[in-house]
Amino acid sequence: MNNVATFVHVDNVAKRWNGQLGVENISLSIPRGAFVALLGPSGCGKSTTLRLLSGLELPDEGQITIDGRDVTKAAPSERNLSMVFQSYALFPHLSVAENVVFGLKVRKVGAAERREKLTRALEITGLLGYEDRKPGELSGGQRQRVALARAIVANQPLCLMDEPLSNLDAKLRASVRKDIKKLQIDLGITVVYVTHDQTEAMSMADMVVLMKDGQIQQTGTPEELYYKPSNTFVAEFVGAPPMALIEGSALPGFGEAARIGLRAENVEVAEAGTGRMTCKVSECEFLGSETFVGLSHPGASGLTVSLPGLRNIPAGEEMEIYFFDKDLHFFDSAGQRLAQQAG
Amino acid sequence: MKTLTRNIEALGALLLAIIWISPLVFAFWAAFHTTSDAVNFNITSPWTLDNFRTAWAGAPWLKYFLNTFLLVTVILIGQFIVTTLAGFAFAQVQFPGRDFVFILVLMQLFILPEVLIVENYAMVSRLGLFDTILGVGMPYMASAFGIFLMRQAFKGVPIELHEAARVEGCGWVGILWRVYVPLARPTYLAYALVSVSTHWNNFLWPLIVTNSPDTRPLTVGLSIFGAPENGVDISVISAATMMSVAPLLIAFLIFQRQFVQAFLRSGIK
Repeated sequence: MNNVATFVHVDNVAKRWNGQLGVENISLSIPRGAFVALLGPSGCGKSTTLRLLSGLELPDEGQITIDGRDVTKAAPSERNLSMVFQSYALFPHLSVAENVVFGLKVRKVGAAERREKLTRALEITGLLGYEDRKPGELSGGQRQRVALARAIVANQPLCLMDEPLSNLDAKLRASVRKDIKKLQIDLGITVVYVTHDQTEAMSMADMVVLMKDGQIQQTGTPEELYYKPSNTFVAEFVGAPPMALIEGSALPGFGEAARIGLRAENVEVAEAGTGRMTCKVSECEFLGSETFVGLSHPGASGLTVSLPGLRNIPAGEEMEIYFFDKDLHFFDSAGQRLAQQAG
Repeated sequence: MKTLTRNIEALGALLLAIIWISPLVFAFWAAFHTTSDAVNFNITSPWTLDNFRTAWAGAPWLKYFLNTFLLVTVILIGQFIVTTLAGFAFAQVQFPGRDFVFILVLMQLFILPEVLIVENYAMVSRLGLFDTILGVGMPYMASAFGIFLMRQAFKGVPIELHEAARVEGCGWVGILWRVYVPLARPTYLAYALVSVSTHWNNFLWPLIVTNSPDTRPLTVGLSIFGAPENGVDISVISAATMMSVAPLLIAFLIFQRQFVQAFLRSGIK
């Protein structure tokens, strides 16, 4: 539409339920072959956005185009996309093979072609040998791969995934994450991926869309979200530990900045008398290679300093911290990011 | 104390079972003995198959069996079609007045079938289906119980499966046939059992709407065979009764476990 590379275009889409807020003013341009993560806390409208893209819900306002075709009111099956559901949505009465070729069968693809595509999809997802099992006889990870195989078997250019990893244990999640990313690159498909886990979003996506209360807060690469949060919500959502916010009054000299953001890795412990702020230690969180020391200060929230190795500093002890102006983020009283300023 | 109550429970269950099965046991006993031996409960008296020979020769049983079998099959097919479509509409299709219509359908459960006999008779006659197997079966096809059962079964199907099928390109019929019907299989089985046993045993309506041996089902044939005008011979009537109930009884004994499981499964889900 606007430019050649745009594959999915969402223009000012809104969806409301009985006057209640669904999503509002959603505009997105997704390039062909991109991996886009819709990120946000639960209830923020990310799943609704995905369902609007899929056609399972129809928008009240706005326009959606996929591959240059207006699909705003089109049925899900007319949009040339596949979908992976959070619960996998495997048909329990069908075997793995029948589940994977379900859509091909519905679309009346010939038996020979079906078998060929099935073998390929099972090969890619490492499920060869499981053709005749029922979903009930598979482990969680295997079910997840069946859902992936079903999504890729028809070779649709767009794949929508709704929290596909949330039912897996932490260890499996990390490995499947890599598999999905590799799959997306190998097949060259466009993926829109809903998650509430920022690690997933940051590690897999080329483009992250952070949402809150049905509105897009920021759209950008993971680096942009991390290094240039557009408002205080993004600043506090992205990163572990999240960015600390300091009241402008507690750190004077920065003009109209109402709040100032600071990441833990930019904070250093200073010798007594040389620090820029004096805080009290509130807790220590040992993570193995480092310890996050939580600091309390009357004019700041979420202040943390990262120290190498194991540290055990008694709570209540005073600590002075130092940081450089270049590492500070400035937000106005409404929470919006101010242009980088020299103070 | 605990063992006592358990023993009483077991005893009660046993007593109930004996009361329940005694008519069947007596019919079985009488069917294989001469009338005087049967009535005198002479344990040592010789067994005989004469009663079955007499009964078999006394009426066109083969035709009756065929009629009952056809009747039960026609009703079941009709019920499956109607209850599936209606149950799906009530469970998954949004249309104005859905709940109101559903309540109307459920009200059918409060009405005794006997109350409707005259009206049904008039309707079947108007349709020209008097004295046909289709005429006997037709009033039972839109079963409120079946519609309710299917609606519940379909409501239990996860909505993601419905949506996945939609994304994969299924229309309404495709979703119903490929997703809902296979998943509701235990319910279909349980319902089929209820329906078959009910209509195998149904008597009053078939009695009224049939008047020739060509359409008469077993129950009506049996009652005519056992009517006092034909002379009462308890052993021959017992033999005829055993023949009538044998198919259902044998099927129950063979599929006992599946029967009970079908009910349990459709109940739990």
